[in-house]
Amino acid sequence: MSTQGPSIHDTGALFQIAEPEERRAPARAPGRGIGIDLGTTNSLVALAPHGDDPKVLADGEGRALLPSVVSYVGDRVIVGDAAQAQQEEAPGQVVSSVKRFMGRGLSDVDFTHPYHLVAPSQGAGVLRLDVGAEGEPHLVTPVEVSAEILRVLRLRAEDALGGPIDGAVITVPAYFDDAQRQATRDAGRIAGLNVYRLLAEPTAAALAYGLDRGGQGLFAVYDLGGGTFDVSVLRLHDGVFQVLATGGDSALGGDDLDRALAAHLLGRAGFDETRPPTRHQRELARIAARAAKEALSEQGEVRVSVAACGIDDLAVTRATFEELIEPLVQRTIRACRAALRDAGVRARELDGVVLVGGSTRVPRVRAAVEETFGRPPLTDIDPDKVVAYGAAIQADILSGSAREGVTLLDVVPLSLGIETMGGIVEKLIPRNATIPIAARQVFTNYSEQQTGMQIHVVQGERELASDCRSLARFELRGIPRLPPSMARVEITFQLDADALLTVTARELMTGVRQSVEVKPTYGLSEEEVDRLVMESYDHASDDYAARNLAEARVELGRVALAVRTALAEVGHLTAILPAEERASIEAALVSADALMREASEAEAVNAARVEIERRSEPFARRRMERALLAGMEGKSLHEIESVLAAEEEHLDERRGGHSAEVIDG
Amino acid sequence: MNEPRKQGAGEVDYFACLDLPRRHAIDRAALERRYLELSREVHPDRFAGASSGEQRAAVERASLVNAAYRALRDPVRRAEHLVKLGGIDLDLTDPERGAPDPGKAFLIEMIELREALEEAQGAGAAAVGRLRGAIEARAEETLDAGIDAIDGGEVREAARHLVIHRYLQRFLDEIDGEAH
Repeated sequence: MSTQGPSIHDTGALFQIAEPEERRAPARAPGRGIGIDLGTTNSLVALAPHGDDPKVLADGEGRALLPSVVSYVGDRVIVGDAAQAQQEEAPGQVVSSVKRFMGRGLSDVDFTHPYHLVAPSQGAGVLRLDVGAEGEPHLVTPVEVSAEILRVLRLRAEDALGGPIDGAVITVPAYFDDAQRQATRDAGRIAGLNVYRLLAEPTAAALAYGLDRGGQGLFAVYDLGGGTFDVSVLRLHDGVFQVLATGGDSALGGDDLDRALAAHLLGRAGFDETRPPTRHQRELARIAARAAKEALSEQGEVRVSVAACGIDDLAVTRATFEELIEPLVQRTIRACRAALRDAGVRARELDGVVLVGGSTRVPRVRAAVEETFGRPPLTDIDPDKVVAYGAAIQADILSGSAREGVTLLDVVPLSLGIETMGGIVEKLIPRNATIPIAARQVFTNYSEQQTGMQIHVVQGERELASDCRSLARFELRGIPRLPPSMARVEITFQLDADALLTVTARELMTGVRQSVEVKPTYGLSEEEVDRLVMESYDHASDDYAARNLAEARVELGRVALAVRTALAEVGHLTAILPAEERASIEAALVSADALMREASEAEAVNAARVEIERRSEPFARRRMERALLAGMEGKSLHEIESVLAAEEEHLDERRGGHSAEVIDG
Repeated sequence: MNEPRKQGAGEVDYFACLDLPRRHAIDRAALERRYLELSREVHPDRFAGASSGEQRAAVERASLVNAAYRALRDPVRRAEHLVKLGGIDLDLTDPERGAPDPGKAFLIEMIELREALEEAQGAGAAAVGRLRGAIEARAEETLDAGIDAIDGGEVREAARHLVIHRYLQRFLDEIDGEAH
């Protein structure tokens, strides 16, 4: 959370006028916007530059899905499949499903997990995970863990684009509250990303589908992610995607289907309250359950073995699995009905229902959606990728590409309110209000002695503040000493297009902007984020440059070696290499050696390589001619021509042809 | 330090905002069309490449358009907005500019309705359903009376009906809340 308006400089004066600094328009780089689906289980990055169809970027081994798993085993942070491979040996040091912890307090964590959580020192504040080895605590916040995932995706996109990216659209569950969204945005910043926008996952999916099919009509999006569930009802109309209502559960997802099955497996293996499984066993059972769930989408029965839990070739039928998950499925269906009701739309009025998320492959989930909405759902876009596609399209638009614009009118998923007398919540912005939206509230003083007031902002639908999510506490200071009810302070609660809250205050009598000090309940403070951003900046700006430099050095080394080899073999033949040319090439090689040791920028190294290539080009050509002549005796004209053509190609490929195998000394 | 106390804020004419005549009867299609047009124009995403000042202004403009749309598309909020433009803000307690007293007769009616609800709840869901239907009809009538008063230029009278409507609506919400 941040105060966009006044910043606080404690000058001791009653009022501080601190208008936000006017920043110039950021220079945009069309086509260099990326879309990121930061998922509970897997994350993806996609590109759709200059109006192209979106493409998900794969790693060097062709894998598009990056498991959202971060390993802190040893000194190096590892993300993805390699981290996942370490999960069994060190479950406490390998973080998966970190999305479930984003923007959460200790008391919100009511699900099983193998981590050692460290509560913030003063009750509120961001929680931390201890991912250190035994006896060596290493605390990380969920925001930092997420930033590691985002950083890997950023590098993947930079590789694909061949340079730095301009900005990113990161998707969040529609049902994420302010704290969870802010945490996601902070993670993006720490990962060195300019976060254009946070985009609701179902809205992103609708964007991917809507553009595909002409974009008219009423749609519902059922999005069962790894750890979150969303349902959105949208109206598509002439390029406007209007979310009418959204609903869901930010603590219910495919993971829970796995957990239900894991609990069943452990139960059948003889574990119970008197003999509970260890964290390790629980985690292994969960991993086995996930595999079983996936298999049961294809087949009617699966056999499960987990040696560490004493589970040996246990048969699980699809019917059993469906029975286990039915309560969870029904929770999602209730949310669907509520969203339809809030949207004022009947199921039969819909033009289509879109499925998103890997767990929508579970046949029972599909059937329940079909029953509820009265039609078979649309599944023609890969449910694992559709969100990233939508994010990439929106990122392309925001990067300034000449792409037909769409307007996304999203809503705030949960009501925003303030705590009043007796702990009752007064709602300022109702759920499903289209964002951006603002609410203003005027507060007065109770006495001349009152120079400040505390305001507690909460999010949720319940009557009591203690039952809602605490977002932040604001302290208003510097109210003028006026008789009761005379001092009037207007506070503006502004939700931006990301559904992120900013608060500004103004004293109405004087019109002076007032200081508002924000204390996010579960988030990092501005200063903490800034510090982490600065720390990562040191890496972030280096990351790309460092890799470029490394690559440039390899290239220079390769070229220098080839030239040196040639010099050693035929450099003494003055017919091929006149003395002054040799001196010039050797001089270039000497300065290249110096650069190899000292250069800190890729440009200089590349320039040195180009210079060697330029100076040695005639030498290379003569060498090639000589090699050709040597091999040409007794050949037909046709043969000579074809050899010549092949060598030309070779020459192009080799940037100057300094390749030892061409030399025929 | 005390709990905050609330007062009213400045008035904005949402009808002017969406280029609609200032009256309760509304052309729904025109409202939707104008809202979508304006949304396309003012949405902050359109200003992704603009200066921070322009971006802030876009957020404020879009907020206003969204607030106007929200207020005008709902018949109750639309009526309350017209009354507000007429000088009475139902969210205030000020005797002059705030919500008028619904009247003693109505407060007695509410007490009777609560007793009736308790009785109905004892008698079962069908009885609650019948009572709910009756209250809903009463709320509809009250809203209609309020709209008639607005059309006749009687702001104070309209406000009184709308206050009563609020009480009835809250009562209906309570019944629905308990049923869940």
